[in-house]
Amino acid sequence: MKLSQFFPLFLLAVSAGALSAQTPSPDAPKKKRAAAPAENGAAPQQVVQSNSLVKVNATSQPYSLHLPWQKESPSGRRGLGVVLAGSRVLVTGQMVANATYIELELPENGQKVPAKVVAVDYEANLALLESPASDKQKAFFSGLKPMAVDSGSRIEDKVDILQAGRVGELIKSPLVISKVLTRRYNVEGSGFLVYEANNIVRSEANSFTLPVVKGGKLVGLLLSYDSKNQVTTILPAPIIEHFLKDVADGSYEGFPSLGMEMQSTMDEQFREFLGLKPDAPGVLVSAVMKGGSADKAGMKKGDILVAINGFSIDSRGDYKDPQFGPLSSSHLVRGRAYVGDKVEIKVIREGKEVVLKSELARRKPEDFLVLPYLFDKGPRYVLMGGLLFQELSRPYLDAFGDEQRGGAILRLAHIATHPDKYEEEGRRKLVFLSLVLPTPSAQGYDKLGGQVINKVNGQTIKDLNDLADAFKNNKGTVHVIELNDFPHILYLDGFNAERDNMRLLGGAYRIGSLKRLE
Amino acid sequence: MNIRPLLFVPALVLLPAALSAQSAPPSPTANQAIDTSSSAWEGIVNIDVSVLMPDYREPWNAGQPSGGSGTGFLIGKNRFLTNAHVVSNATRILIRTTNDPEPHAAKIVHIAHDCDLALVEAEDASHFEKLKPLDFGSIPQLNTEVIAIGYPIGGDRISVTRGVISRIDFRPYSHTSVDSHLAIQVDAAINPGNSGGPVMQSGKVVGVAFQGFSGRVAQNVGYMIPVPVIKRFLKDIEDGRYDHYVDLAASDFPIENPAQAKALGINGDGVGVLVGDVEPQGSVAEILKIGDVILSIDDNPVMNNGLVRFEGELMDMNEIVERKFAGDTIKVKYLHEGKKQEATVTLKRFDPYVRLGAQYNQRPRYIVNAGLVFQPLDRNLVDAHQIRDDTVSYVFDNFLTDKLYVERPEPVVLTNVLPDEVNTWITPYAHSIVDEINGVKIRSLKDVQTALAKKEKPFIEISLLEKNRPLVLKRELAEAAHKRIMQNYNIQEDSYLGDE
Repeated sequence: MKLSQFFPLFLLAVSAGALSAQTPSPDAPKKKRAAAPAENGAAPQQVVQSNSLVKVNATSQPYSLHLPWQKESPSGRRGLGVVLAGSRVLVTGQMVANATYIELELPENGQKVPAKVVAVDYEANLALLESPASDKQKAFFSGLKPMAVDSGSRIEDKVDILQAGRVGELIKSPLVISKVLTRRYNVEGSGFLVYEANNIVRSEANSFTLPVVKGGKLVGLLLSYDSKNQVTTILPAPIIEHFLKDVADGSYEGFPSLGMEMQSTMDEQFREFLGLKPDAPGVLVSAVMKGGSADKAGMKKGDILVAINGFSIDSRGDYKDPQFGPLSSSHLVRGRAYVGDKVEIKVIREGKEVVLKSELARRKPEDFLVLPYLFDKGPRYVLMGGLLFQELSRPYLDAFGDEQRGGAILRLAHIATHPDKYEEEGRRKLVFLSLVLPTPSAQGYDKLGGQVINKVNGQTIKDLNDLADAFKNNKGTVHVIELNDFPHILYLDGFNAERDNMRLLGGAYRIGSLKRLE
Repeated sequence: MNIRPLLFVPALVLLPAALSAQSAPPSPTANQAIDTSSSAWEGIVNIDVSVLMPDYREPWNAGQPSGGSGTGFLIGKNRFLTNAHVVSNATRILIRTTNDPEPHAAKIVHIAHDCDLALVEAEDASHFEKLKPLDFGSIPQLNTEVIAIGYPIGGDRISVTRGVISRIDFRPYSHTSVDSHLAIQVDAAINPGNSGGPVMQSGKVVGVAFQGFSGRVAQNVGYMIPVPVIKRFLKDIEDGRYDHYVDLAASDFPIENPAQAKALGINGDGVGVLVGDVEPQGSVAEILKIGDVILSIDDNPVMNNGLVRFEGELMDMNEIVERKFAGDTIKVKYLHEGKKQEATVTLKRFDPYVRLGAQYNQRPRYIVNAGLVFQPLDRNLVDAHQIRDDTVSYVFDNFLTDKLYVERPEPVVLTNVLPDEVNTWITPYAHSIVDEINGVKIRSLKDVQTALAKKEKPFIEISLLEKNRPLVLKRELAEAAHKRIMQNYNIQEDSYLGDE
């Protein structure tokens, strides 16, 4: 006799209709729970303070991803910012993501001033803050001294992670830089330079930004701490300098990328297949993103990439960095060059060496079919008669737990990883029906969710603006919505949908606006 | 949406002793004593099965031996009806009657996994000649009493439990996890070991007990396979072969929306259901189009929610198709672009979905070449290998919804790379779907064999779906390594492609 579990059925019942998303929580650096130090009458220690660090308190409130007209509950974030020239304060991008209020606080006396973001790069995970000029602001910064940035760190350097205690005393955790590599920070995209260091980092209240210093100079900001393995990753000074230099010229361009994928050629049989000599350098170019720097330079899939800007690329895809040793060649572009810089790429094509030249560019998040990240802004949406349409984004997909990733979400996630076909169709964004609110005009559709929209009223939908126009310009009395997936076609009464729209505004669902297209 | 609630079932069947049985026997509310020595009950037998669970991880191995026990009952001359899941993957089947401890070897005559029924016969019929076969009744009424008889856990001798008919509904059958048929819910205690046993009313069989919920999730919910499903099985095998269920292979979407009804040209009589999807290889592929409206099947009006009134009950319109056999026809009336049409549909089985369900009584198919293990993608493989690769998950999950079966009827997965000097660089590529080998598109496991036999070039070149580099093996090295790998990993045969 078979016994069955009711749980799976139950889950289905919950997830079948609406694509109910979980609220994503910001990935804060993992903290170690350190035991409280024993207070057994040790001699009073001298309090060491820094006049280049300020506490930063931010309140973060992201938009809801599945009910995009509303916001999630606000939460606080605390960090330790680094004072730089011009009374500016450096923190991680994560610290100020979706911030509704930011303030700076002097560690020793608790004096506070409000602050705002001057520049932020969520890919490089860096932000620069400023407090509006006032007497209070002047007084606040009068005792502070800018900290210099030191990009000269090397493997085996001893550095300190700084934290501020209750009365502003500095708590140092000494670390040794053990590795330098490239890795993705906290949003989708290519890798950045990272220092890896080992030791125990004790836990204090300031977790979203912690400076790493050596000899009074800034060598990086804490990215993450894995308490189990006691491994710390550090966002390093070279990336900070790059960011600051970019900000200084008045217009922020961001970090460039080549827009290509490579495959190592260490496998001898693969090398022979590719026609590579045993000791020859180079990696296989396995994909070239349309419109990226590599594409503009004329790089082709199947090329063997042998050098970038004079640096030879080995079969692993590394170059020899004068400071750090072998390092992923992506850093040659990402970290060592700027948007607009000239790049010279040497490839082997059909046995012959070809030199490709181009100007480096950056692919902005808006340039992707599926938005890789979204902060500070609400998700775009259009609500029509209870049908909620959105543009697919990574955060939307990530908001679903692993066990909910079946069916429609798996299909959408697959499109996000393989957008080529949809981009070739001319789509700028992937518009989909994310949810159906129970209204009379959407009667019968309330179990739908996750269907990609192809056409509305005969008009091809390439982004949400097209969709809004298609609804507005309908000449008939019924809206015809064509879906890429089952059940492929929906009809909505134009008059009743408008009436339901009016009812939704300010109704039970607390909808303030029927769309967000900015 | 596929419901797969019964993944733990085989374990439960195998380990009846490990289950904490409801220790208190059901209180005897019987209003009639049952004489177990009367011949009427002797046709209800215990079926003891030795099983070999196929090993989809090491497909060249025999698998895991285990066993279980269920119930069966005599329905004709040396013909015992039981559940398919009782005798699936059996290597030995023994029948015992309640009053005779002697085991009698038996074998499967027909097995229908899609409706979880099997017909078993004793090797030596003489012993059962005097037994009286049980007769079938019909679909019982709600709230009428039934008894379930069988050999569930809690003892060795025959057991009787009593309850009422709770519900009659179209339900998923957990044996394959993809098939749904009519099933009847009863509140008589149905426990492991009851499987395959009769549920009786007024001395007649009204169903075969086959599945239930664990006590952790629902109480007193047991299901039986009703007589129409049993009769259909028995009729199907009359020609000596089981032909499986047939399908419309179209998905319907209810017409509840007034604008939708108006646009589709439906008047307010409640008749007509929207065709939301049509499988290009199914029975109605050339007839129905997405956006059509089905009005009636065999002159039974189809309501807006896809139900029909059939034999006095409201049932899913597929129930009409359910009762038919391969090659039978149905008459469909439908609207196409607002115009009434009529067509005769010849029904056939829709194969692609079989692979989404559990399969039994099959030796796993595979090809090993230079340590690379190729296997066809199906549920057995997915469950055994716990594959997390995005592409494999996508292809399996959307095999039907995105019509992937059209291009690739039997996707082949590189499930494992048995490490050796020759393949050490490509071991991370296990759990990928194979797109092409040596320029040959891989649409089934057989294609892998054909492609590997092509030996013009000095390299074996394998492209994987959505992986950006081909796997390359130098042919002479691969051929030299093949034997060594077979030996090192103790593989007797380098392929099994099925009995053909």
